[in-house]
Amino acid sequence: MIRDGQETWTSAAGAARSGYTVVDLGDDWTPYIFAEHRGPDGAPLPNRYRRVFLGLANDTLDEDGEPLPAGETNYLELYGIPPSLGVLRARFLEDEKQHCHEGANLAAMEAVETVGYVAPDKVKQEEKRIARLRDELEDARRKAHVQTLAELAKDPKLEPKVKLVERRAAEKLAMTEVERRLACEGMFKRGLKHSPGIYDDAMRLAVRRFQQKHMIYESNYLRQKTMDALARAPLANDHEALVRVLRERVVAAASVLEDGSLEGKNGPPTYTGANGQPAPVRNLVEELTKSAVEQLGLATPETALAFFKRHSAADFRSLRAAVRLPALPDYYGPTMDLSIVIDRGEVWYDLPWDATGARHPQPRKRYPSFHVYVKYKEQRIPLVRWRTTIGGWRAEQASDGYEYFRYKGSDVGPRVIRNVVAGPVWIAPESTPIRSLVKTKTVNGLWQRVVNYDELGPGFLSAYGLVAGYLVVPGKAGKPDWDNGIRAHGSSEYLSMYSSEGYSHGCHRLPNHLAIRLYSFILHHRAMQIVGDQPVNIARQFLLGDDTFEIRVPSRGYQYVLEPPLPVDVLEGEIKGTLKKPVMTYVPKPGVRYPGPPPAVPNSAEARAGGVSPGRSAGGDDEGGAP
Amino acid sequence: MTFRKRGLLAVVAGLAILGTGAAVGLGAEKAGKKAVVADPAAQKADDKVHITLQTVPPRKAVVKWGSKNLGMIPVPRPLVVVRPRDSGPLDLVVHAAGFLPVHTRAYTFSDSRVAIKLTPVSEKNTLFGYRQEVPPEGAASPDAGAPPPSAPAPAPVPPR
Repeated sequence: MIRDGQETWTSAAGAARSGYTVVDLGDDWTPYIFAEHRGPDGAPLPNRYRRVFLGLANDTLDEDGEPLPAGETNYLELYGIPPSLGVLRARFLEDEKQHCHEGANLAAMEAVETVGYVAPDKVKQEEKRIARLRDELEDARRKAHVQTLAELAKDPKLEPKVKLVERRAAEKLAMTEVERRLACEGMFKRGLKHSPGIYDDAMRLAVRRFQQKHMIYESNYLRQKTMDALARAPLANDHEALVRVLRERVVAAASVLEDGSLEGKNGPPTYTGANGQPAPVRNLVEELTKSAVEQLGLATPETALAFFKRHSAADFRSLRAAVRLPALPDYYGPTMDLSIVIDRGEVWYDLPWDATGARHPQPRKRYPSFHVYVKYKEQRIPLVRWRTTIGGWRAEQASDGYEYFRYKGSDVGPRVIRNVVAGPVWIAPESTPIRSLVKTKTVNGLWQRVVNYDELGPGFLSAYGLVAGYLVVPGKAGKPDWDNGIRAHGSSEYLSMYSSEGYSHGCHRLPNHLAIRLYSFILHHRAMQIVGDQPVNIARQFLLGDDTFEIRVPSRGYQYVLEPPLPVDVLEGEIKGTLKKPVMTYVPKPGVRYPGPPPAVPNSAEARAGGVSPGRSAGGDDEGGAP
Repeated sequence: MTFRKRGLLAVVAGLAILGTGAAVGLGAEKAGKKAVVADPAAQKADDKVHITLQTVPPRKAVVKWGSKNLGMIPVPRPLVVVRPRDSGPLDLVVHAAGFLPVHTRAYTFSDSRVAIKLTPVSEKNTLFGYRQEVPPEGAASPDAGAPPPSAPAPAPVPPR
């Protein structure tokens, strides 16, 4: 703990007794959902994914739990696995020595907000177009007897052309700076050739890596947040990473959820507190994080660097810090009357294309949203509001071996979440397109095809993300719950949540880090039972080419049971378009020849649940925002 | 042979007393001849898991883990692979003459048995994912490319 500005050692128990909150800064930290638990008999309840989570956070393992090659790093914060303090320490110490920011043409970077994307095969064509435009403007400038293009731009007819030429010139300069910075930070993949000035695969992957490192949701493109981060000094970026990492540690230690996501133009919503006075719903996530950062003396890159120099790597194996956090609101307690409301927003059931395959836009102004409430003194107080997903039209593999489209909607009405599963495993149904179930990787020195367990889980790329709550209709009179396969789960496909054309297969997705916060919060503030690992022995084979691939699932994940279950209400939203009810049969893909009529659609919970987007990568960026 | 590489892998063929969990440390290539002491670290039972591999129907099959040949499943006995506990999964490819290669995975979280179903090459059409042939060009292809049904089918209804 910090006393009189100096670090002093104290016992965790003593600090907690004195009203301090103990924040775990150790490298062996996981969110609560992956913590080590014991059963009622004291026997350990091991979590299969805990080791992998720790290995990923500490840059020692890859996503399969196999050793990470020396010198490689996992940048997975964007997908819900923040780096450990030990990894951040190494990053700080390394970046102190490097000079990526020195001599940078910051003016060139700041002159543009974004760098427009030009496909590699269109670069020459675009350059010729801009050159022609420049010649045309030069002629016009001479004819107009003005000195500069800026003066020419006063003519409203020529203004757009002048701006385009100037923007392209500025972007070219900025692109050079971007390339220099990405190369200096080692973001380019070894063995992949990059042609300067061209947004080729090497560049795309380097930008993606940079965005992953700095938790930027901008889908491989050089948009504003990416450009801002590229213009900052590496230590400043490291400091932002440290604050983000501390945020998750503080949120976990204090078990809070309110993150300011409800704040609008008129500020946050209010409620009546215990004293009868109106009180705003506070942004506890930021308030508590700021308090901890300041108390720990980590408010600037310089003080953070000094902190990491003061402590050896070994310190971070089990370092904890005691901080005195602001008091929580009155409505907090060990058991809170929580509920979830999911508003489906604007919903389209119509086909998004016609018989020729031409897409028809289905614009939405109101997107699906995920709300958490607490009931307190006869008030329903909103805690958070996040973007989420509902289902839409997806490709499915039918029993005839062909892909069709199917509308995979999101159920409406009251539900409950009884089971929360950490490191959930999605048992891919036979309707999953086979091409999404196989990937290539190096196995013991051999590049080969393997079953794509990234999609199945457990893992940050899994169809269910790092944690899932299972929405069910509670069974009555001794009957089991009715599970239609809809989950509220974490996801790495952030474009499905944040892009205008994003949809799921029916589930309600949240970014992994928010899903972790949500379920850790719920498990801390509701009566629940830790069941632990759910072993199964499921094997399913499929054919691809002349090889049989076998999916083997040894566990469904790590189960927590909420008793009583958590109420969820899914609102219908506003149905747009012509069709007012969803089509429930397979629809042939335009332009595809099929052997016969479409087979019947499977309707098991697993067949409806989750689902993956063929050919996608994390972020969903390979599909232009529609995973 | 792989099992001589310290700390990496120990492969033994166990007696096929499936269900009893018995496995005897015999070298897969020297089965019945000589007991083989695997990696000394593997002797600590707590730190190691045993993965028992067999084929269904029982056929001799070569098991590969990437570029590494783990050995032959010496039917009727299984192949037992000893690995450090919780050391990550093994993506295996099983090759048996006359059958399609099988890509499967074994886990190291706990002891496990992996029964690998083999499919004869001539029966590949029985596997999911086998694509039916499309009728020749010009032949009727009902519903292909047809517009969707105008009336939606009823949605599944939860039990009351």
